[in-house]
Amino acid sequence: MERVERLSQAYSQAPWRKQLQFVGLFLLIMVFIALIASIYLNVSARSGAVGREIQDMQREILRNQREIAHLKGQLGTIYSSTDMERRARAMGFQERDPQDTLYIVVPDYMDRQPVVLAPSYQPEVIGAPVLPVEYTESFFVWLQKQFNHVIFPLFKVQS
Amino acid sequence: MKPEHSWRYRLIGALLLVVPVLIFFQLFRIQISPEQRQRFQEQINSISGETADIVPPRGLIYDRNGELLAGNQTVYEVGVELAQVTDIDTIVLALSSVLGEDQSKISGLIRDGMANNAIHVTIANYVSQDQHDKLVGMQEEFDRLFQNVHGKAARSLNGLSFQPFLQRTYPEKSQASEILGFVNRQGRGYFGVEEKYNDWLAGKSRQVWWPYDPVEAARLPDVPEGTSLVLTIDRSIQASMEDLIDQEVDKTGSDSGTIVVLDPKTGEVLAMATTPRMDLNQYWLAEKIFSPGTPFNRAVSGTYEPGSVYKVLTMAAGLDSGAVTPDTEFLDRGVIEIGGTVIRNWNGGAWGPQDMQGCMQHSLNVCLAWVAKRMGPSTFYTYMQRFGIGHLSGVDMAGDVPGRLKLPGDSDWYEADLGTNAFGQGVAATPLQMASAISAVANDGKIMAPHVVRSLISKGYQKDIEPQVISTPLTSKTAQTLSELLARSLENESSDALVDGYRVAGKTGTAEIPTPFGYTSDLTNASFVGWGPVDNPRFLVYIWLEKPRTSQWGSEVAAPVFRQAVERLVLLMNIPPDNIRKQLLGQ
Repeated sequence: MERVERLSQAYSQAPWRKQLQFVGLFLLIMVFIALIASIYLNVSARSGAVGREIQDMQREILRNQREIAHLKGQLGTIYSSTDMERRARAMGFQERDPQDTLYIVVPDYMDRQPVVLAPSYQPEVIGAPVLPVEYTESFFVWLQKQFNHVIFPLFKVQS
Repeated sequence: MKPEHSWRYRLIGALLLVVPVLIFFQLFRIQISPEQRQRFQEQINSISGETADIVPPRGLIYDRNGELLAGNQTVYEVGVELAQVTDIDTIVLALSSVLGEDQSKISGLIRDGMANNAIHVTIANYVSQDQHDKLVGMQEEFDRLFQNVHGKAARSLNGLSFQPFLQRTYPEKSQASEILGFVNRQGRGYFGVEEKYNDWLAGKSRQVWWPYDPVEAARLPDVPEGTSLVLTIDRSIQASMEDLIDQEVDKTGSDSGTIVVLDPKTGEVLAMATTPRMDLNQYWLAEKIFSPGTPFNRAVSGTYEPGSVYKVLTMAAGLDSGAVTPDTEFLDRGVIEIGGTVIRNWNGGAWGPQDMQGCMQHSLNVCLAWVAKRMGPSTFYTYMQRFGIGHLSGVDMAGDVPGRLKLPGDSDWYEADLGTNAFGQGVAATPLQMASAISAVANDGKIMAPHVVRSLISKGYQKDIEPQVISTPLTSKTAQTLSELLARSLENESSDALVDGYRVAGKTGTAEIPTPFGYTSDLTNASFVGWGPVDNPRFLVYIWLEKPRTSQWGSEVAAPVFRQAVERLVLLMNIPPDNIRKQLLGQ
């Protein structure tokens, strides 16, 4: 009781202390809010920038896909039989006369094989590396799973 | 607070209370009203992003050696962003000079758009890469030249916009057009493999939401390219056969011509050349090139009475069923009556005693009708069905038609049909059907499924299509016997179909053309079917010349085409002459 009286006396003697305490508390809250806001702004600005980058890259992917398709078409035109024949003639090549054909044995000669443009289709790729689920699932999904692990077995036992 | 002013404070207090309540009520009302919610959602969507269609590039089509037959090219939609336009006259002039469009039309489109407060006006579609490059070049040139000029003197192409997208292109233009078909501007395939495999080639488009807020950027769905196809066609053989058929149609004055080249052991179509053909990059001219009723690809859609080439099937059935043997004697009196119909030979003459080789060598209608009669309708038509006559060939191309084989029991079948069908009259088939059926003789009695697609390439993997046996109408022995018999027939006749250095087997065909009044036309369909080398067939060639004018006989117009086709094929397929091949095999 004596102590309380002493404190009351001290405050009544120096009310600025009380005000300073309020101001300090207010500033502390403001700093905290500013800190949270700046973190939020920083994170959202970064995610915005990354999001924009992702969108740009997605557009780039589509543009590249189109460009590749276009270039394949152009390559086809350059290698078309009419263009190839024109260039071959310009280079001095001539059509062979069947009578001039000479057949000789070439050891280990393989006749022209049909083209293989991609590896053979494999129905299932066994042992392919898979990204562990821990790297992809969110905290809440993990929490929900843990919850389900605990809750559902209980229900099963009861039923 | 003065008491006389207290009502004002109460009023403000009441307003401050009522307004949030109203706002809350309105929010609640919107939430429970589906129409309101949808309307607001649409408004939100319209300002927060846009939907976009991701159309995957259409799958490519290659020949068997990986040469591109159908690809894609970038074309542009050229438009004007009206808010950015500073100089209409220059835009109109530039677009008109590059695109060849009328100036007043372009000017009208832009001014109408402005009058209607439009944001964007489309001026032209499917603008080529070259035209696009020219316009972009002009745009940059104007920007450079007038960067320091302001006011009315400044010339600018500001506002021009280009939206790129892919369009089908065919590097070989008209080559293999009858096999490929084409794709229209809406991306749908017509005819050939483009139509048959349209869904595979086109892939699956996806509609995605593209948010303006980058924070909401989501992962794009996986939109794989359309499936690519590797055909069984060899570009060089195809080009050579097209060149040959064009030349022979011109030389013989025929209405049209068809060459089908099959590998009898696998059913792979190596070439399929028909007339007319079209530059697939200008598919809109199809209506001018193909008159009404003209099939896009005669080899699979053009049915006709094949005539004497059909005798191969009749003789095959006769030998296989045991009705005749190669040595069976037949006395040809020049006439036979079946079901009340009198059948005569092609020259109206009697050829006296003949064995089966003689019957085939001289192409005797009377003899073949007699063979069919010996078999009886049940056996004969069972064999014809096993050969696939009257059924779809099953080739993986659009436009496959079954032809017509009348069967006992059908309302329009008469006993006389047995006699006429035996030599290819009164029966309708396509060249591919005939080639496929006769391939049984060249392939130890087995018919392989005719096909033009060799492999599918999807998601980075290639899946080869294995050859399949669809029917085994003959025993291996019958097939070899008939093959030998037909080879000797050609040799004995010194046929124009014979090829120096290579032993081939085959049969000519000359078919009268039915009219509404019977077989009254002087014009014929000339055909030839042949294969080789006889001891190890690598190719089967079927030729059809429609209404040749220089001669009506298949032996005179179609047989030489076969010879020329084989002379080209053996070079392109690296098949040495028989004697050299046997020497090489012996080493």
